[in-house]
Amino acid sequence: MKRQLKQLSIGLIAILLIGILGACSNNSGSSNSDTIRIGLAAPISGTQAQYGTAFKNGAELAAAQINEAGGIDGKQVEIVIEDDKGDSNEAVNVANKFVSDKSILGVVGHFNSSATLATAPVYNKNKIVQISPSSSAPAVTNAGEYTYRVITTDAFQADYLATWSQELGYKKVALIYEQSDFGIGLLDVYKQSAPGNNIEVTATEAYNPGEKDFSTVLTKIKTTEPDAIFIGGFYNEAALIAQQAQKLGMDVEFIGVDSLYSEALLELGQQSVEDFKIIGFFYPGGSNEKATEFAEQYQTKYNSKPDTYAAYSYVATSLIIDAIKENGTDREGIKTFLDQVKDYEGATGVLSFDENGDVITVPTKLKVANGEFVNFE
Amino acid sequence: MLFQQITNGLTIGMIYALIALGYTMVYGILKIVNFAHGDIYMIGSFLGLFFLKELQVPLFVAFIFSAVVTALLGITIERAAYRPLRKADRIVPLISALGVSTFLISVAQLIWGTEMRPFPTSFGSKTYVVGSVTISEIQILILVLSCLLMVGLHLFVKKTKIGTAMRATSINLTNAALLGINTNRMISLAFAIGSALAACAGIMVGIYYNAVYPTMGYMAGINAFTAAVLGGIGSIPGAMLGGVLLGLVEALAGAYISTQYKSVISFAILIIVLLIRPSGILGKKEINKV
Amino acid sequence: MNRKLFVLIIAALLLALPLLLGQVSEFWLHVMIMIGIFSILSMGLNVIIGYAGQFALGHAAFYGIGAYTAALLLINYDLSFWLVLPISAIVTGFFGFLLGTPVIRLRGDYLGIVTLGFGEIVRLIFVNWVDVTRGPMGLPGIPAPELFGYSFSGKIEFYYLILVLVVITYFVINRIVHSGIGLNMLTIREDERLAASIGIRPNKYKIMAFTIGAFFAGIAGAFWAAYISYVSPDAFRYLDSVNILAMVILGGSGNLAGSILGASILVVTPELLRYVSEYRMLLLGLAIVLMMIFKPTGFWGEKHRKLNFYGKVQKGEGK
Repeated sequence: MKRQLKQLSIGLIAILLIGILGACSNNSGSSNSDTIRIGLAAPISGTQAQYGTAFKNGAELAAAQINEAGGIDGKQVEIVIEDDKGDSNEAVNVANKFVSDKSILGVVGHFNSSATLATAPVYNKNKIVQISPSSSAPAVTNAGEYTYRVITTDAFQADYLATWSQELGYKKVALIYEQSDFGIGLLDVYKQSAPGNNIEVTATEAYNPGEKDFSTVLTKIKTTEPDAIFIGGFYNEAALIAQQAQKLGMDVEFIGVDSLYSEALLELGQQSVEDFKIIGFFYPGGSNEKATEFAEQYQTKYNSKPDTYAAYSYVATSLIIDAIKENGTDREGIKTFLDQVKDYEGATGVLSFDENGDVITVPTKLKVANGEFVNFE
Repeated sequence: MLFQQITNGLTIGMIYALIALGYTMVYGILKIVNFAHGDIYMIGSFLGLFFLKELQVPLFVAFIFSAVVTALLGITIERAAYRPLRKADRIVPLISALGVSTFLISVAQLIWGTEMRPFPTSFGSKTYVVGSVTISEIQILILVLSCLLMVGLHLFVKKTKIGTAMRATSINLTNAALLGINTNRMISLAFAIGSALAACAGIMVGIYYNAVYPTMGYMAGINAFTAAVLGGIGSIPGAMLGGVLLGLVEALAGAYISTQYKSVISFAILIIVLLIRPSGILGKKEINKV
Repeated sequence: MNRKLFVLIIAALLLALPLLLGQVSEFWLHVMIMIGIFSILSMGLNVIIGYAGQFALGHAAFYGIGAYTAALLLINYDLSFWLVLPISAIVTGFFGFLLGTPVIRLRGDYLGIVTLGFGEIVRLIFVNWVDVTRGPMGLPGIPAPELFGYSFSGKIEFYYLILVLVVITYFVINRIVHSGIGLNMLTIREDERLAASIGIRPNKYKIMAFTIGAFFAGIAGAFWAAYISYVSPDAFRYLDSVNILAMVILGGSGNLAGSILGASILVVTPELLRYVSEYRMLLLGLAIVLMMIFKPTGFWGEKHRKLNFYGKVQKGEGK
């Protein structure tokens, strides 16, 4: 027993030391007051790392722009990036790290709706603003008064798409959706809105996130002979679906929401994604000058074209920066700014927030022509 | 639709089989599960992409280059992360393998980025219609090349002297060493062959889906490991059979039962098979040493 | 006597820690709580792996079953947390029993893959059984525990709760593994045939190990659900099982204090490595390989356990 006790106590000492060490290191980190610090929580590693990279690039571009212009009242803006791995366990760790660092004024994140929902109680209890660039699940609406998002809900987009489907003359539509909060949200609303638009939903097939083989699903769908397939997922999977459909000799159109807007869709899908019809909020080269300007600067800085998520992250970060400009370095001031902001011109369109922190904005109809996104006429 | 689903299942099953061979060969000799094998497959795929895109070599040269480099990587990993642990408990190399896996994924992310990348080859998108089945060029390549590689491996192991030495090593490491076989070299060889096959599988998958990304080894690794165990881990024909079976089960379960639950169904089948035959379909029954 | 004093000091420090940390950093208090949760999980898994010698790769599934059971009971039936905690543990223990019963015939890596498969099946059921679990949307709004009308609102309350749970878990498992049951398990681990030949029924003890391990995972899960107030399937993945396994091995299998150490290392290291951002996972991977090479039996491994355990039995101190 003695030996066990000794071991136990050594272990406990180790834990204590680590705890105290951590506390000290954390203390010293936050004493620097020459910079304005904004948190960014994103999946930097793990299966969703590509979206994390987009988040990081978008946010850092926003910070770089303000810093080149001399910062806010002479103070430089610093983006503090933390990896949540797209996992709600890790996300809560990150959230706790942010809220306990008093120098962090606001947080951009998280990517997944589940991570946003898991962390919302932490941010709200500590009264720090969280703007999610991408969590579109309806449940985020009621996540708390400090939780905002710059992406519209799945419900809004799916309903909009159902109306558009009718305009396009589709009678039979099949759905392939991701088995995630995002995909299921799209499915539910689209299925609900379809009868009102004279659309028959011929098949609904789910896939688990990370799936790469869609030949089974597509072979099933092929027998139902739809006019179009609505892909309720992300651009990577959409490109794979289009290619595999082509390899199966399917002649069908594809529609989707803003999650498909990415250069990667064109690169991965090549000729198979030609004539894709999607709803977009971020569209450079159109009437939105902010979007065009952002895309150009992004291209110069990273030598690649931004996708939807980079744009959303840029907008979310810019909102926080503008809030600090307006109301000073105060956590509460950011919330005041967001509640009052009206018709904010951002790279993803003109936006305002409703009383639940959900964004109000107008989508654009886009399609793919000659390997590029163009306005749908 | 049935025949189309079978074709789809066979294609992916062949890939599982190729990767499963790596698990099974290492297990056959060392009795450890090389959990980093899925990530070796990922690196093989990225190397193929590198040779095709940056060095502009023809496709078959890319296969060879990538297989050779990946084989060297496999040997290095064994030297660095497994050899020092040969005397330790069997679970210890497993944890070390997980460390290697994490390491390889981060390296790939640092070098090639986190995005999915397309495969720059026009090969493979042409399709042929045979009756009710549509089959693409790349599917034909996967079916043919996988068969060739597996037959080749089988002949190598059964007919050549080195192959015999390898089999001897896998039956009993100590006895093989006593007979004058350089067992360390055999172990390296097993890692090399397994990794090279994984690299070939990686390139073919890269072309098939036109996508390569750092975390691609994760699901492929789990599925291939399942296939190896299903067929009887340690048995080379078992890995081939297990891979093909798993591919077919996934496709048919997805087609006729539910796509969301297809992994549940394949795991359930694995569990049932193991309960009936605790060492897999073609696995040798473990002899209890007294 | 000296050691007792020592332990007392540690206990006092642990008790006072939130007062020190709470002022400085909520984050490190959260990390301490996470260490507590993972300590319970890894001690439970240690019974299965370190004592009964069964290679299990699906511990996150039990953690998830505990969390979901607690979440569903708390949200739908409005039960008290103090009732839900033991119920979740019992339900999860029952699942451990259910899983253990058919799979004990399997050995080694076969058992590993089957438990891995079980873990994936459980997670996919969480994801796809939308009517009950709300699928990937998860279950938000789990009420906080209450004690004598006082609601747990801050981290400090949860810290003390997990501290109590860790201490209870340690002493209960310690009693079990130092009793006849533990000795029988060890015998099975060392040589199953020998065990059978001297009248120990391996199956009974293996199932028992699974049940005990799952029971404590259920406690950890229920605590997590109440603490975070939200559960979703992505917290109970295969990688989480692997992480718990790594904690057991790193700390030293067959040593309970080692499990706490392993949990501390693997919870804290990734947090400390955050400043290297994109190199974080790279360094973590390297560190794991190096630790295994230099300390293959874990920090407080086999050697320690054999010495103190058998030593005590010989001296007649143990049971």
